[in-house]
Amino acid sequence: MRLYIATVTALSRAGGVLAMLLLAAAVLVTCQMIFVRYILGGSTVWQTEFVIYAIVAATFIGSPAVLIDRGHVGVDLLPKALGGAGRRWLEVIGAVAGLAFCLLLAWSGFIYFYEALTRGWRTATVWQLPLWIPLFPLPLGIGLLALQYVAEMLKLRDGGTLLAGEATHFEELE
Amino acid sequence: MGPFASGSLLLLGLLVLLATGMPIAFALGLVSIVALILSGGFGVMEIIGETFFGGLASFSLVAIPMFILMGSAVASSPAGRDLYEALDRWLNRVPGGLVLSNIGACSIFSALSGSSPATCAAIGKMGIPAMVERGYPKSIATGSIAAGGTLGILIPPSVTMIVYGISTETSIGRLFLAGVLPGLMLTALFMIWTIISCRLAGYSFEAMAQRFTLREKLQALPRVLPFLSIVVAILFVLYGGVATPSEAAGAGALFCIVLAVVIYRMWRPGPLVEIFRSTLRESVMIMMIIGASELFAFALSSLFITQSIAMWIADLEVNRWVLLLFVNIFLLIAGFFLPPVAVILMTAPILLPIIVQAGFDPYWFAVVLTINMEIGLITPPVGLNLYVINGIAPDIPLQTILKGALPYVLCMMLGIIILCFFPGIATWLPGQMMGAAL
Repeated sequence: MRLYIATVTALSRAGGVLAMLLLAAAVLVTCQMIFVRYILGGSTVWQTEFVIYAIVAATFIGSPAVLIDRGHVGVDLLPKALGGAGRRWLEVIGAVAGLAFCLLLAWSGFIYFYEALTRGWRTATVWQLPLWIPLFPLPLGIGLLALQYVAEMLKLRDGGTLLAGEATHFEELE
Repeated sequence: MGPFASGSLLLLGLLVLLATGMPIAFALGLVSIVALILSGGFGVMEIIGETFFGGLASFSLVAIPMFILMGSAVASSPAGRDLYEALDRWLNRVPGGLVLSNIGACSIFSALSGSSPATCAAIGKMGIPAMVERGYPKSIATGSIAAGGTLGILIPPSVTMIVYGISTETSIGRLFLAGVLPGLMLTALFMIWTIISCRLAGYSFEAMAQRFTLREKLQALPRVLPFLSIVVAILFVLYGGVATPSEAAGAGALFCIVLAVVIYRMWRPGPLVEIFRSTLRESVMIMMIIGASELFAFALSSLFITQSIAMWIADLEVNRWVLLLFVNIFLLIAGFFLPPVAVILMTAPILLPIIVQAGFDPYWFAVVLTINMEIGLITPPVGLNLYVINGIAPDIPLQTILKGALPYVLCMMLGIIILCFFPGIATWLPGQMMGAAL
C-alpha cells in the first residue's frame, strides 16, 4: 500500500513539474508569436495551436499534483461542521464520487484519443497536427488523477483528510 | 421525465455532491455525465471526452493561466509593500490618508494580482499594523482591507471577467473596460465610508498624520511605476483590438516575472518555482471547473432545461426590475457558498439569455454579477478574505473583522443600486473606446 501511494505520488509530482514547464513554454511561445506578428510583421503557423494545447495538457497532467495539494476547491462547510464520523462518511462519499468522475472522463477521453490515433485525424489548420498528440494528455492526466484519488482514499483510511485544511490557505499566501 | 423534473433532480444531485466537500469540478462533471447517460444511454460516453476537451481548447482561455501567472509574480514579490509605502507617502496630507492609501493600494494591487486573498495578505500585512499603531479602530483597519481586496475581480485585468466573457461569448476587452468605472466608484464609496466611520468613531486624523519630504515621496516611485505601467499597457493594447487578451496576458506575465527578477532580485529558482506552482494550482482548478461546466451546459441543454427555464421566465411576464432583484438574490446566495468562477460558469448560460431578453445589457450585467461575487468574498460562511485577515492579524477577533466588513457590503449593495439607475457607469467607457456593442 505504502509503495503504491509513494509511486503514484511521485508520478503525480512529476506531472506537476511537466505541467509547470508546459505553462512556461506557453508563455514564451505567446511572446515569440507577438514578436513575429506585431514587430516583424510576419505570420505564424503553429504558435496559436501550440499554446492552446500546452495549456490544456498542463491542466490535465497537472491536475493529479493539484489534487495532492488540495487545490481543487470544494464547499467544505458541512463536513467541517459535522466533524467525527459524519465528516468521515461525507469524505468517503465525496471521494468515491470524485473517483467515479475521473474514471468516466478518463475512459471517455481514451475513446476519443484512440479514435484519433487509429483513424489518423489531424487538426483542421495549416499546421495539421495529428490530433492524438494534444488528446493524449486527457486520458493520461485524468487516468493518473484517478490513481492519485485511490492513493488519497488510502490515506483517508489511515486518518488523513481530503478537505483543504484551514492552514493550507495561509501557507500558500505567505 | 419533463425538463423541470429532470432539472430539479440534477440540481438536487449536484447540491448533495457539493455538500460532501468534494471538488466542485468533479461534482459538476459527475452529475452531468450521469444525467447524460440516463437520458441518452452509454453511447454518450463517446462525446464526453470530446466535449470536455473542446471546452478547454480555445485561445481565449489561454488568458486565464497567463493572467494568474502575472498576478502570482506580482503577489510573491514585495511589490505590495512598495505600493503601500508609496501611496502612504503621497497621501499623508489627506484626512484619513493612511486608510485611503490602504484602500487605494488594495485596488491597484488587486488589479495587478487578480487575487482577492493575495491582496488582503499583501496589503494587510503592512496596512493593518500601521493603522492600528496610529490609532485607527481595529474594525475599520481590517474591514477596509477585506473590502479593498475584493476590488480585483472587478478592476481589469480580471480572471472573473475573462471567465464570464468565455461562458457568455461576450468580448473580454469590452468587459474589462466595463469594470473600470464601477471599480473606481466602489473604491470611492469605500473611501467615503471609511472617512465617515472614522469621524463617527471620534478619530482625529490631524493628530496622527505623519510628514514625508518630497525626496522620500519621489524615492518611493520607481519600484511601483513599472508594474502600474504593465496594467495600463495591457488595457491600452486591448482597447483598439491591437492584440487579443491572451496575447496581452502572455506578454504581461513575462514582463511581470522579468520585473520581479530584476527589481526584487528574485533570481533564485525557489521563488520562481513557487510562482509557477501557485499558478498551476489556481489555473488547473479553474480550467477543470470550466471543462466540467461545459459538460453541465451540454447536459442542461440536451435535457431542454435551459430552454424551458428561459421560456418559463418569459411567460411569467414579471417586471424586469423584479426579475433582476431575484437574480441578484440568487447570485448573492450562490456567492455566499461558491467561488466566483464556479458561480459564473454554472449560472451564466442560464441567466444571460433571461437577462438579455429582459432588456439588460450583458456587459452591465457582468459588472452587477461581479459585485455580487465580491460581496460573497467578505461574508460568512466562506468569505475567504475574512479568514485571510484573521490569519495575518490573529490578535483581532473574527467578530471585529466581520463588524468592520459589514458596512462595506452595504457600500457594494449601494453600488449595485447606483448601477441600476445609471447603467452608463458600466457601459459608457466601453462604448467610447470600442464603439457600440454588437
